[in-house]
Amino acid sequence: MGDQSHLLTDAEVANFIVTGYHIVHPDLPPGLNEKIAAQLDALEDNPGDAITETVPDLHQVLDHPVVVGALSSLLGDTYEVQSHRHWHCKPAGSGFMSWHQDSTNNRDHHINRFLGLYYPTDITPEMGPTVIVPGTQFRNAPTDRMATYTNIKGQVPLTVKAGTVAFTHYDLWHGTAANRSTVKRHMIKFLFKRTTENSAPTWNHEPESLTGGHNWNLRGQAKDPVNILSFANPLGVSQSDHYKERAIRQTCWNHLLGKDAQ
Amino acid sequence: MTKSPKELPRQRLLYLHARTPSPLSAILGYTPIEPIKGFRPEIVAEEAEWPYQTVHDAVVDGWQIIQFPHLQAPFDDRDLDVVGYEFILQKMEVVDG
Repeated sequence: MGDQSHLLTDAEVANFIVTGYHIVHPDLPPGLNEKIAAQLDALEDNPGDAITETVPDLHQVLDHPVVVGALSSLLGDTYEVQSHRHWHCKPAGSGFMSWHQDSTNNRDHHINRFLGLYYPTDITPEMGPTVIVPGTQFRNAPTDRMATYTNIKGQVPLTVKAGTVAFTHYDLWHGTAANRSTVKRHMIKFLFKRTTENSAPTWNHEPESLTGGHNWNLRGQAKDPVNILSFANPLGVSQSDHYKERAIRQTCWNHLLGKDAQ
Repeated sequence: MTKSPKELPRQRLLYLHARTPSPLSAILGYTPIEPIKGFRPEIVAEEAEWPYQTVHDAVVDGWQIIQFPHLQAPFDDRDLDVVGYEFILQKMEVVDG
């Protein structure tokens, strides 16, 4: 393994398992975000998967050590940047987008693929940000069944600074707010995939982080993986759902630790 | 003289997703459907309005439950599906718009 200075901590990996998202702020070269945003503003057609050929500077985002470190931590060193990527341009005056999970209802309780959402400009609440619902990535819910949901307690709008990359579990519930501003809202979506099973942790794992035991009193304030995985409940769901979440999280954590390969 | 539909009580709907099947449990999701042409509730990026904390709060405010959560579906103790338990409520009122 190469540069390990940007790998995630145990707590960050545990929080990704719990919430289904992780946000990084790579220090991209001065002017790069503005240059990319200007190129996107000028596009007349959506090039689809060819967006990286149309805007080659996007490779600098994918290659940034902070981005590589997060991807290596969660998907292993041999992660694949899939060929599908997309420019999501939300024009000024466009409406909100309802909650959905992408693709069909064949959900994955492991961390095998997720999205990277890159925002080249600051995103304000008026610009129609992506909105996510933490902790919903393990729910197998047909999008049709979400049609009677609007605002959900605990939803998180990705109102972020220019250059932010948000990694979101592929199955995380997401939508957008309306764009009430006078500018286009740009987001480039990338898709990443695991290619090899872990035989050991691929992040900055400290084995002693697992030895502290459960502390019920910490609940949502826990900073260690054992208690984050056990007690975090970002939506405040019922006890029955929370117990199921715990079991799924532990399976997922063990998979990342490489225990399935032992 | 016959009243126009807008002068008559119309059905306001409220979809509340509660933490448990109890009307007293906390609300996790809130969707109003107003009987106004073109009305669409929106996901918002700002802090959403939560006029009620429980289904019971809405009942106290005059809403009537017209559908309780369906609990007859097969129970799976390993998989998770939708968030919360859906109550549908109505209130018949004369509504502007």
